[in-house]
Order: sequence, then C-alpha cells, then structure tokens
Amino acid sequence: MECKLVPSICSYCGTGCGLLFEVIDDQIVNTLPMKTHPVNEGKLCIKGWNLHEHVNSFLRLKQPLIKTFGRFIKADWNEAIGLAADRFRNIIDQYGPDSVGVLVSAKITNEENYLAQKFARAVIGTNNVDHCARL
Amino acid sequence: MGDCHYLYGNYMTIKRITFLQELLTFLGLEGRIHLAWISSAEAQKFVQVVTDFTEKVRALGPNPLPTFSHNKKAALSSVLGRGMGKTPGSSPPEPALQEVYP
Amino acid sequence: MQDTVKAWLENGTIDVFLGYKKVDNHPLPHCFTKARLEELEDLVVSPDRYPLEKIATHMTTAKPEVKIGMLARDCTQRALNVLYIWNQLDPEKIQTLNVNCCPSPLKEKADCSYLRPATVGDYKKEKGVNNAALLEQLSEYGQEERLGRWMYEFQKCIKCYGCRNICPVCFCKECSLEHEDLIKTGALPPEIPVFHLIRAVHMAGRCIDCGLCEEACPMDIPLRLLYRKVNDIVAQVFDYKTGTSASQSPFNILGDSVTLEPKPIQLTGTDS
Repeated sequence: MECKLVPSICSYCGTGCGLLFEVIDDQIVNTLPMKTHPVNEGKLCIKGWNLHEHVNSFLRLKQPLIKTFGRFIKADWNEAIGLAADRFRNIIDQYGPDSVGVLVSAKITNEENYLAQKFARAVIGTNNVDHCARL
Repeated sequence: MGDCHYLYGNYMTIKRITFLQELLTFLGLEGRIHLAWISSAEAQKFVQVVTDFTEKVRALGPNPLPTFSHNKKAALSSVLGRGMGKTPGSSPPEPALQEVYP
Repeated sequence: MQDTVKAWLENGTIDVFLGYKKVDNHPLPHCFTKARLEELEDLVVSPDRYPLEKIATHMTTAKPEVKIGMLARDCTQRALNVLYIWNQLDPEKIQTLNVNCCPSPLKEKADCSYLRPATVGDYKKEKGVNNAALLEQLSEYGQEERLGRWMYEFQKCIKCYGCRNICPVCFCKECSLEHEDLIKTGALPPEIPVFHLIRAVHMAGRCIDCGLCEEACPMDIPLRLLYRKVNDIVAQVFDYKTGTSASQSPFNILGDSVTLEPKPIQLTGTDS
C-alpha cells in the first residue's frame, strides 16, 4: 500500500490554484486544495475539485482515430502523424501559415502547452495560438 | 405512537420533524411545518387539523423563499430593503414575485 | 513523536502513518512508511489541517486490511468516532498519535488553522451572518431578519461542493447533492436554501465541528455556525453529543426510546 500526496497546480485556468493529488497505489483518487498556497489559501472551485476525474476516465482516447468516409477508424501513430503533417503542408503551401490556428487545452501540462505554442510559431509560422482557459 | 403500519415509522418521523422544526426556526421560517397523529378513522380530527393549520399559514402570509431564489437582489434588499442595489436604467426588470396564496 | 512512529512502523503496529511533512516550507500531508524511515525527521504538526481521516477512508476502501496510524487532533478523534459508527473505518486498524489542539484551560498552547482571527467586512456585518457569531447572538434577530441574513449568505454559493468534498465524515458514494431531482444542474446559485439545508440535515448527528468546510468555502458562508446549530438541536432534543463516543446517532437507531410529542399549532405569537 502506498499513498502519496502530490502537490500540483490546477490546469483549468490562469489563476493557478495550488492543489494536492491523493495518489493511492498509483491511482489518483482525490484532489485536495493546498491550504498554504498563496493563491487559493485552501479553497477551490468545482472544476479544481474534480481535476482528478479526467485522468482515469474511460472516455479518454488511447489511440489515434482517422476520419475516413465520415467514420472514425483506429489507426497507428505513424499513419496519423504522417497524414496530419501532409495535410498541414498542403494547407500552408496553398493558403499561407496564417490559415492555421493552434488551440491548446487546459487538460495538458504546462510543458506540453509550451511545446504547442513553439510548434505554432516555429514550425507552422503563425501567431494564431490560443488556450481554452485564457483569462 | 407505535401503531404505525411501518412499525417504527412514526418514531423516525417525529425525530425528523422535531429536528426540522428547530432548524427552520433557526433560519427564520418558524411555524410552517406541523405534525399530528391522525388515524384513518379520525376524519373529524383530520378536518380540524387541516383547517387550523391552513388558518395559521394564511396568517403567516406567502412563502418568502421564492423572493430569494428567483431574484438575487431580493436577498440583498430584503433585510434592510428599501430598494438597494437598483441602478436605474441598467438592470433588467425584476421578475414578478410568485403568488403562493391567492 | 518521531520515535513513537518509528517504533510503530518497525514493529508492525501500523503499515503506514499519516502525518505532515514540510516540503519547501509548506506543511503537506504525507504518508510515512517503513521503507522510507528517514523521512520521519521531517514529520511536523502542521497548523494547517487537512482531512487525514478522509485519506485514511480512501486507503481503507482501496485495501481494507491496511493498518493506519495518524496524527490526531481533537477533531480527528471525533471524526474517527463517527467513521467507526458508520463502519467506514475499523477501530482495530487505526492507531492515533494525539497532538495538541484547540485552546482550553488544559491545553493552553493550541495550534490550529481555525484560530486565525476571522475578519468580517462591514457589508457582511450589515447584511449577512458573522462567521464568528455565537448561536445566542443570532437568536436576537427577528424571524424575518434572520431569514434574510441567511439567504444573503446562501445566495453567494458558487456550488463548488468544497464543503462536501473536504468533509471528513462525508463518505457516501451517491450524494443527494448530486441528485438530478433535488438539485438542478447548471443553475447558480444552487437552489437556495435547499442545497445548504440538505447538507445541514445530513450533518445532524454527524458533523464533528472541525470547521474544514468553512475554511474551504470560497464564498465565506458561515457553514460551521449552521452545522453547529444543527448539532445543538441534536444535543438538546436527543441528548446526543456527536463524535464524543462510538454510540449510534439518534437518527440511526430504530426503536421506541422516543418521548417526543407533536407540537400543538400556535395560532398567535409566531415571532419568538
């Protein structure tokens, strides 16, 4: 039996409330607000309180799906990334880099969000980056 | 007491109702809940209790809760009232209060 | 303190110990185990309280045979008693290490996050209910004013469910506060005062007055005061003091030990 309380920052919005994940046997089971965190002082909103729920959700995608003839077909990563890259190339060549926008998510980590904006600016060449929880 | 068809039902009822009466009094809704033991053979008593309680509730006036739940401002203005929180022109018209009793 | 826990972990009295560890000056709840005894040097008694009992309940749900030790304040003791009554924890598998708590003539050096002086703004004083008020002070208001003041407090609610989520004695898998028919989804504030009263009624004979709900409330609703009143009623009507012993709550026992009588209808003098 192992129980860890892992301090983290809420990823839902730009406020940055401190919270603790209750990890029992490598499963996140609960979220608690961090009492001593200067931002939220032991309080959370309903989204923060339920932050642990999407981690182990059965609704999560575990492999890429490619939409072919209106239906999502399971595919492997190389195929999916290859297809996405080809289509991006075509679109950028035809309409310019500003025809692409990158919308990132609150449910991925800070580092992944950073990578996504780097991808938009350095690889695609556009400033069209936004985040669903931009306050 | 103890004659309940559901054996202990009325013991649980009186515990809960007594508790609820105290709690509602604390919140400021005194006298709006009443409990009486009336068997199915006591038609006269039933009529009497219902009549008395209806009279009492009528004397208390309409249920004040809808004024709070339908209108946030009412909660603010109710205590010291006198139309606080109203900014002329900018606020939408306040919803009409629900008439509980005609 | 460290030595006791070390001895317990080494001789197998407990498998894990729930206490607080200082991480970058933040006292955080931490689970000490036999495998990492050296961490015990950082074991502290934190002035900021977390619901350790709740973590213990989660651990027991995951693995019922685990033996847990924990740092226990007075509120933790009361919470444990309630959890024993409701069969959420087994008293044989819990070891407590008692630490100092709320102030009393016996315990002068108290340390508890609830002791920080509460600050109440002028507006709240005028329109709402002072969190630090005593029950007697509230009964001085008339019926109408009391209702208005409580409703002012309730309509601030942002329905974060924090009070329920942090509550050490809330363990139900299905919560009435999430029931579609009782509380509609998507409305703010939640249906007042029903939302708060459902919780208050469920706290009767269960609330152990730890004050964590009020600490977790982002809108500063005087929940502790409300639940204190609820338990006050239980103490006066049923002579039951929640959490002080492992005896059943009056709402739990079926039986004929009731001496209550229905109250008569009072046609006059409603404002008492």
